[in-house]
Amino acid sequence: MSRKQWMDNAFWETEDKKEVNCILELEDDVGRVTRQQMMLNRANKDGSDNELFNELIDALGEEAIDKETIDRVTRKKAEKEEEKMRDEEHLKARKLEKLFNYKMEAFEVEEIKLSKNRKLKAKLRRAKSRIEVDLYSIMILQDQLEAVADGKE
Amino acid sequence: MEKSKGFIIVASKKRNFYSYAINLAESLRDYYEPEEECKICLVTEEQFIDDRGRDVADDIIICDDHYRAKLWGMAKSPYDITMYIDADMECEHEDIIKVWDEMKDHDVVFSALTDDRDYIYAERDFSTPEGMAKFTLCGGVCLYDMSKPIVREFMDDWWDLTYRQMNDTWWPEGYVDSLKSWDQFSLWWLTEKEPKYKDLKVGIFDDDLRWNYYNALNWAQTKPDNGPVILRHFSAGLNKDTPIV
Repeated sequence: MSRKQWMDNAFWETEDKKEVNCILELEDDVGRVTRQQMMLNRANKDGSDNELFNELIDALGEEAIDKETIDRVTRKKAEKEEEKMRDEEHLKARKLEKLFNYKMEAFEVEEIKLSKNRKLKAKLRRAKSRIEVDLYSIMILQDQLEAVADGKE
Repeated sequence: MEKSKGFIIVASKKRNFYSYAINLAESLRDYYEPEEECKICLVTEEQFIDDRGRDVADDIIICDDHYRAKLWGMAKSPYDITMYIDADMECEHEDIIKVWDEMKDHDVVFSALTDDRDYIYAERDFSTPEGMAKFTLCGGVCLYDMSKPIVREFMDDWWDLTYRQMNDTWWPEGYVDSLKSWDQFSLWWLTEKEPKYKDLKVGIFDDDLRWNYYNALNWAQTKPDNGPVILRHFSAGLNKDTPIV
């Protein structure tokens, strides 16, 4: 038994609703299902009614297509925002990895390695940027040189 | 008598891991209040030990350079309630002190490998003679109660089985060889196939992403439900093989 069905996700391609994007699902006598995506114009080139277009409107109704068009715009916008957020978070994570590696390099500087100043080392570990790492590294370095000079180390 | 509590960190094979381990241990001390109650055991190779290790660790255990010395070290913990943490992690929140509450009535506690975090795992699904299976436990962190004989035995067996699967003296039929490099496989085997551990109470940390947040996860997609990250795992972005300096 063959079957023909318009999918309910049709949406307007143009604001004047003269063109619609839709999918027609067809099932043949042996149960094989195919889907055709179509762009249908309200009128044929000679100005006459497009029968396929009218068939779609009869099946779904213009209001349903209006609603799907609005929903689709909202959905696409949300998807785009989600993708943008993911990209931003991906970049943030890569930046954090680089910062972590940079801190590890700082902690391997001999004077910083030898420093017993836990407070400053904790500050370095919590640094949010390379410049902050550099600043605390210098402070630890100075502190360590002073400690050596004072004979504490 | 109250059970002793402490962290265990293992750094073997590569010098960089020793540097990461020192950083992790110091970060635990940065956030743990009161700091003097923060007990840390460092398991590492003799060649790596320096003053930083001696200063930050309460206990030091010497291990060899086995790829999975981690499991050997875990089984040697000097603390009753032990929190193992991968060396390439960092503590960033004072809730670290609450880790002991996660023990509850479990024997061992892990973070979970879940479908929605699937996008960062190298190998998770695998075929078995009984059908498809997947790893569900992540060994990046592990809280366990060494005062229980069953847990001590489990830790010994996890190390022993991993050692044998890696040196080809043990491998069950019907499993692909690529799984041999994963200690998650021996963990899966012991928890799913080994009758003597059928009653082992395996738990998952509450809001487990706080306790083992892989930095490779995408925060927009995957983040803890109730609070900031406590332990961040940097494994993916580190140059483990190239000396730091």
